[in-house]
Amino acid sequence: MMLVLAALGVWAIGWGVNIWVSHQKPGRWQSVVSATVFGVTAVIMWQLVVTGLEVSPVILPPPSMIFTAFVSSTDILWADFIQTFVKGALSGYVIGCSAAFLTALAIDRSNFLKRGLLPIGNFVAALPIIGMAPILVMWFGFDWQSKAAVVVVMIFFPVLVNTVQGLDAAGKMQRDLMHTYAAGYWQSLFKLRLPAAAPFIFNGLKIASTLALIGAIVAEFFGSPIVGMGFRISTGAGRLELDLVWAEIVVAAIAGSAFYGIVALIERKATFWHPSQRK
Amino acid sequence: MNMIKTGLLTGALTLGGFMAQAQDDVTLQLKWVTQAQFAGYYVALENGYYEDEGLNVEIKAGGPDVAPTQVLAGGGADVVIDWMPSALSAREKGLPLVNIAQPFKSSGMMLTCRRDAGVESTADFAGKTLGVWFFGNEFPFLSWMAQLGLSTDGGPDGVTVLKQGFNVDPILQGQAACVSTMTYNEYWQIIDAGLTPEELTVFKYQDQGVATLEDGLYVLEENLADPEFVDRMVRFVRASMKGWKWAEENPDAAAEIVLEYDETGAQTLEHQTRMMGEVALLTAGSNGALDVADYERTVQSLLAGGDDPVITKEPSGAWTSIITDAALN
Amino acid sequence: MGMRNILPVFTVVMVIFALWYAFAIVLNKNWAEDKATRGGYELSFSELVADTWSQKKPRLPTPDQVAGEIWQSTGVAAAKKWRRTAGDPLFARISEVLNDKRSLIRHAWLTLSATMLGFVFGTGLGILLAVGIVHNRAMDNSVMPWVITSQTIPILALAPMIIVVLNAVGISGLVPKAIISAYLSFFPVVVGMVKGLRSPEAMQLDQMRTWFASKSQIFWKLRLPSSVPYLFTSLKIGVAASLVGAIVGELTISQEGGLGARMLQGNYYGTTLTIWAALILAAALAAVLVSSVGLVERITKKRMGFVQ
Repeated sequence: MMLVLAALGVWAIGWGVNIWVSHQKPGRWQSVVSATVFGVTAVIMWQLVVTGLEVSPVILPPPSMIFTAFVSSTDILWADFIQTFVKGALSGYVIGCSAAFLTALAIDRSNFLKRGLLPIGNFVAALPIIGMAPILVMWFGFDWQSKAAVVVVMIFFPVLVNTVQGLDAAGKMQRDLMHTYAAGYWQSLFKLRLPAAAPFIFNGLKIASTLALIGAIVAEFFGSPIVGMGFRISTGAGRLELDLVWAEIVVAAIAGSAFYGIVALIERKATFWHPSQRK
Repeated sequence: MNMIKTGLLTGALTLGGFMAQAQDDVTLQLKWVTQAQFAGYYVALENGYYEDEGLNVEIKAGGPDVAPTQVLAGGGADVVIDWMPSALSAREKGLPLVNIAQPFKSSGMMLTCRRDAGVESTADFAGKTLGVWFFGNEFPFLSWMAQLGLSTDGGPDGVTVLKQGFNVDPILQGQAACVSTMTYNEYWQIIDAGLTPEELTVFKYQDQGVATLEDGLYVLEENLADPEFVDRMVRFVRASMKGWKWAEENPDAAAEIVLEYDETGAQTLEHQTRMMGEVALLTAGSNGALDVADYERTVQSLLAGGDDPVITKEPSGAWTSIITDAALN
Repeated sequence: MGMRNILPVFTVVMVIFALWYAFAIVLNKNWAEDKATRGGYELSFSELVADTWSQKKPRLPTPDQVAGEIWQSTGVAAAKKWRRTAGDPLFARISEVLNDKRSLIRHAWLTLSATMLGFVFGTGLGILLAVGIVHNRAMDNSVMPWVITSQTIPILALAPMIIVVLNAVGISGLVPKAIISAYLSFFPVVVGMVKGLRSPEAMQLDQMRTWFASKSQIFWKLRLPSSVPYLFTSLKIGVAASLVGAIVGELTISQEGGLGARMLQGNYYGTTLTIWAALILAAALAAVLVSSVGLVERITKKRMGFVQ
């Protein structure tokens, strides 16, 4: 019980620090410090509450145990990361995004196709694609190929819809201007419409970056070789290796956030001129 | 008229609710989804055997993501059904499970292979891909392979293992030469899909001498110190075994009872009736009491797991006969 | 979707159906040929096509097979139950039909109720967090990055653990599924509402201040109304996410039924038709939910004067 009270104390301290930080002179460091303080506070509270209430480690292991498992099984975690993130998620991401982008360019020239595909694309983007995972595992086998396929199916429509919308983003006046310059379709596409579409395309790419890893992991629940993050997570509970399961979840969170962060960073560099990037 | 009926019904329900309150609660966590594998418990519930013992039993179905050991540790159940390898492994990891009864005498686990993939005997395994269940069900397989001297990391001298999901697709689609099956379930899915018994080679764990004990009843060791809990379990095991013996004698009716309790509505009577017939072969010969020789064989098989045995030392206190001794006399 | 889109959409749908049938031949061919080889007979092309379009457990069922399965497990199942309960009072009969475990109507209803409860939880949490983030710099700095991180964790991995933990404190049934569903749906709401509550321009905020409006007045009279269009956009994404969450929950708590449980059972027994029927029904559910939110959006916006 003492530990639970201590957890409340830690929370109060963390909160106090963050209030203090927020009253300092604004700067980039602020959000980094605040977020870190929040995260550290949450982890300490987790540790104290789990130990204080004597929660069985096979239900919810304390962070210290997860950390130990993380450090002592880096080889397993690395092999799983390669299998699921690099082979499954990343290849699916590249294939899915390129396919969606090329499709968007292809249907861009036909108003008929655009009007036919967009409502369907919007519909499919809202579907519970997760249900397709077992079917795709059946079609593409147990190795990473089926995981990449799930990723492709999950991200194709969000990227397509965003890209098509983006290609329409350039104003009529700007297009007319290109026209008066006697610019051809491709010239106007590269010089005007693609740059104008960039914020939309990056929006799609960002959504896809969070979906990719999740899709690959979910697909591994429905059959896999004996390596992979999803394999480890889906079988770990049955062997009561909850510490390893949580270590994998930590890897997933780090990899997923880093992936999102990298795409966001590229966006900032590529679309520095856009109002949404101004500070 | 309807009003009266409703009134009577409400009265009856209240009375029933009251009676149920006066009984002792027991929650049973199954190892897998509602199917004839657990017929004995559903029969005991439906035929009122639990009620006769003064018990109010709730049966919780399992599924691919439900680990009975974890549920037991979390206090979500009083008693769970698990396989002994998984229970002994949990015990070694610090979760003290104790076997209080063993309704399944024989093992129903098999490895089923396609002849046209070139598997006729265990000597043909090397270099092949084999489908295996995980989630705690991989232990018997791993110890069998270790005894055959086959590595499970792939390569020409070992076997490539894949986690086969919950169905027999890998063997139908030719992605694996062999898949894990139970005599009472997945084997028949292969047959239903159109492969004939002649086209298959079947390795029963029982025949290979690597059988480990399957569905048994497990509780937490600390609870056994409580005489009230022991008394509840004695009544529970007695009623459950009565259910099992009834199910063995009335397989068709038992299958129908199971079907009644399947909330997903996806099971078929045909499949459950056949499953009941096969399950009855496994429960036959057990009155519920654990046969110490079977236990010893399971332990030896698990200890002999090569470099990475399922358990590393002889367990102690992993089973008790106090419940069955009291229940069956 | 306007009237002028009907023809293009229809055309695309037709093309999809044609491709679907073509893929059914490609994907189901192996099994048909496998059967023929083992049986020692030859298949002509038309026999092959007929076989691939009518297998019991196809890798890809045809649209008409799926439609047939849906009809069997809704209409036909309901009619059967209706006949079997003849003689019972009307209401009892209706409830029997609706609660038939073999009927997809009941499973769709189970999924819908978990989705709705999760959507309410998620939207409530999302709005509360957004209000906190907009009004409190400390919260903005510390919470927002973790909100994003939370979505990079695969919910399917967390689901079993959430359920075991809730089970340990005695919560089971609909609520655990709704919590998983809320975990997915609160995110778009937070993001959209933060954007929306911040959408009033500096000039509008200054105007409010010149009227000596208090913080709460600014919130109720300016920030909240301006956030409505953003809210509805996120609600549409959120309700779809809720449905995904409910299905994920049902994959884990499969013993209580629901469309997710049907998908799992279909996978378990290798009955692809069951999976596809549940999948199509889930798609229909998604369409209905998203367009209902769209309808409420249009009515609200009209009343609030966003559109004339």
